[in-house]
Amino acid sequence: MSQDAAHHAPTSTGIDHKKLIMWLFLASDCMFFGTLISTHLLYRKLYPTGFTDAEGHQQFIQKLFNIELTSFSTFILLMSSFLMALAVSAMHKGQLKSFRRNVVGVIFFGLIFLGCQVYEFTHFYHQGLTIQNSVLGSTFYVLTGTHGTHVAIGILWLVLLYFYSFTGKLGGHVGALDVEVAGLYWHFVDIVWIIIFTAVYLVEYLGPSGIWGNGLPVLAK
Amino acid sequence: MSHDSHHAPVADKMELAPERSDLGLFRPDRTRGFCDWLTTVDHKKIGIMYGAFAMLFFLVGGVEALAIRTQLARPDNDFVTARMYNQLFTMHGTTMIFLGVMPLSAAFFNFLVPLQIGARDVAFPRLNAFSLWTFVAGAMVLNGSWLFEFAHLAGWFDNFAWHKALVYTDFVPANGWFSYAPLSGTFGQANAALQAPRFTGVGTDFWIIGIQILGIASLAASFNFICTIVNMRAKGMTMMRLPVFTWMALVTSVLIILAFPAITVALIELMFDRQFGANFFNPSAGGQPVLWQHLFWIFGHPEVYILVLPAMGIVSEILPTFSGKALFGYPIVVFSGAVIGFLGFAVWSHHMFTTGLGPIPTAAFALLTMAIAVPTGVKIFNWLGTIWGGRIRFTPPMVLALGFIWMFMCGGFSGVMHSAAPADSQQQDSYFVIAHFHYVLLGGVLLGLMAGLYFWFPKIFGRMPNATLAYVASGLVILGFNLAFGPMHYLGLAGQPRRTHTYHAGNGWEDWNFVATIGAFILGIGVFMAFANLVYTAFKGPKCSSDPWDGRTLEWSLPSPVPEYNFAQSPVVGARDAFTEHKHGTKRIAYEADGGEDGVHMPSQSWMPMLAASGFLFVGFGMPMMAMGIPHAGWIVVSGVAVLFAGIWLWALEGPGGYMLKTPAVSPTPAGAPAAAPSAH
Repeated sequence: MSQDAAHHAPTSTGIDHKKLIMWLFLASDCMFFGTLISTHLLYRKLYPTGFTDAEGHQQFIQKLFNIELTSFSTFILLMSSFLMALAVSAMHKGQLKSFRRNVVGVIFFGLIFLGCQVYEFTHFYHQGLTIQNSVLGSTFYVLTGTHGTHVAIGILWLVLLYFYSFTGKLGGHVGALDVEVAGLYWHFVDIVWIIIFTAVYLVEYLGPSGIWGNGLPVLAK
Repeated sequence: MSHDSHHAPVADKMELAPERSDLGLFRPDRTRGFCDWLTTVDHKKIGIMYGAFAMLFFLVGGVEALAIRTQLARPDNDFVTARMYNQLFTMHGTTMIFLGVMPLSAAFFNFLVPLQIGARDVAFPRLNAFSLWTFVAGAMVLNGSWLFEFAHLAGWFDNFAWHKALVYTDFVPANGWFSYAPLSGTFGQANAALQAPRFTGVGTDFWIIGIQILGIASLAASFNFICTIVNMRAKGMTMMRLPVFTWMALVTSVLIILAFPAITVALIELMFDRQFGANFFNPSAGGQPVLWQHLFWIFGHPEVYILVLPAMGIVSEILPTFSGKALFGYPIVVFSGAVIGFLGFAVWSHHMFTTGLGPIPTAAFALLTMAIAVPTGVKIFNWLGTIWGGRIRFTPPMVLALGFIWMFMCGGFSGVMHSAAPADSQQQDSYFVIAHFHYVLLGGVLLGLMAGLYFWFPKIFGRMPNATLAYVASGLVILGFNLAFGPMHYLGLAGQPRRTHTYHAGNGWEDWNFVATIGAFILGIGVFMAFANLVYTAFKGPKCSSDPWDGRTLEWSLPSPVPEYNFAQSPVVGARDAFTEHKHGTKRIAYEADGGEDGVHMPSQSWMPMLAASGFLFVGFGMPMMAMGIPHAGWIVVSGVAVLFAGIWLWALEGPGGYMLKTPAVSPTPAGAPAAAPSAH
């Protein structure tokens, strides 16, 4: 293990390279999602009434949203973060079986979230919200779709780690670190969803007629 | 770990036994020549390749600039068509910024940062190679558009159905380097094929995907450099002992990771508009073109500092060396650099004074812009303080560095003029702006980078560039540059608009345009001479000692050219300007034998970074071909993404590898000379 020891020489800060570079990536990703969320909110403020469907009817976003379903998928994604934390903890203790059990849970919950998103996109599309017919459609689908892509990449990553764990090469300090870095990514993607869920979904229900004004009275839904 | 005990330590990597990675493939460790360069993870070789590509693209961008100046030499000229003129100025700007200056800065980061902090490599050697090859892929995509354009002009596409269906046939980007919407975007309603009518040809799609790929390269490199600088400093190399160049590399990298996401998102949005009929910037569907300007300049203004801070770092190394004094006010210079980086995020709207932001934001952005002059001025005074009372040696790098201060200051003065919003409204889109940013980017950045090239070339290749030729080239560059861009201040204030392919006689612009063209050619000859001198030196120049300038920082303590393991033993630093202290002061560099009998650990070479990056080549050419309407072009994009993922997957599976390299036996440091580096003085 001499080279391994050399390769993981103590760093100046005591933080491992892999962990540090993931934090740097997440800092960069904050700006990435910040820009996308700003784009959506700017256009919501500018065009509070939503979009016009294929029949030429004004549609309001609150009529489109199924807040119960989205709350459910948000909850599922949050719980996947909990399982991810358990998986990281198991890996630090060297409990490979426990790691596998928890990471399968994370993957399963992630897939439920993605399934809900696919259902939601299909549903909205049939209600008349498309990427082409309004600015709202463009910002909504690209913002939530980009987040969905992040979740999908996370799932792919965890699936690969899961199968890698059967080769016997995932273990020790390096293995725990690799899982922890994947965990950092997964938690970040969850936190971003909490912000998107708040800024894109929940605020539409604030106040008597939506936070942007001109919306439908929320109670009339 | 299966890669733990594969080799006994070797003195040369060619002695390694053939080794399979965890994946079962042979590692390309035992290579020489071409394949060695393609698979290298050595930061020095990667730096040299970055530099070579950057100098190549400097010449490409220079030829484009000379074509522009030839067209403008006299009124009503028809040297190039208006269509090609648009393509030339767009590609000139894009090439110089993204393919010239940024990779040349990256070349210095790569070569110098690990040496200056006393490390053996960057934190992620394979990621570093991936950054290089991704940059090369992006550069090939952007410039590959010229091949399509020439094929179009030669009529090779005329018989294809997809070509007949094109409304606009600009195959080269022609929107200017900031590609403003709505010109770069769409209008009207998207059709069933998700395509909305566009204002411009597929050149814009080449630009979008090319810049996107270059952004990925810059981001990956910056994560790596921050990690390296923060985490891999030698013992005793505290943050406030870092050489100023390394500090500026750190600030620049932070700027890149925080600024590039904005352009990434803007490019994604524009791509969705053009390829999938979205409405982000489509005015007929309520999209706001001004949003593009905001997103672009939130990236674009920090980008200006991304370009200039490395040059400032270089000058902050050269002036102390040739003045024989420590940098005046080191903490203040470092702090000013960080403040410039911070304020750089708060001034983007000064590019947009004429869009009608309203009085409050305009006033705020004008004030913040003026505020940036303060840390910049502080730096200039510190540089003057450094040379004040010094024993100045007018070597070629010093001449160029002094030229940097003077020329950059001229650019700074016209920059302060722009910060006054009412004055800026007069200067917007005129040649005055061209004059301003060429004084900053050419008089500032290019002179700084050239100074750096002449300063560190003896370290990189162990050979000394011809000084006479260097003086002549520096003189020609500074003379030609002032002749070319000085008159543009006047031309701009006299009303000549930028980005206009010709002008009529009788406006009083003829004489100064002619002078500017002569200046541009003198400048071109000067840059070419400077580069030719360097290329000749790299291969045939006279050998020089390892410390020809009496250098101050750790890299000068190493032999030239630097051995692949950098430091035979890890240095332990006791002071700022460690090598000067070691030679002339009391705090000597200590060395600790960290590798012991086994020598030092070297990372294994790999094909995977280049394989992964080659996926971007497919994506980069596939996306514009989709926009052209070429049948099944989408599959090129899909296969590119597949190659990218496959490359990353294999990369992860092959593991970091590594082998132990025996270093020359190092005797205890003799008095007056550092270990393993017999010094010249």
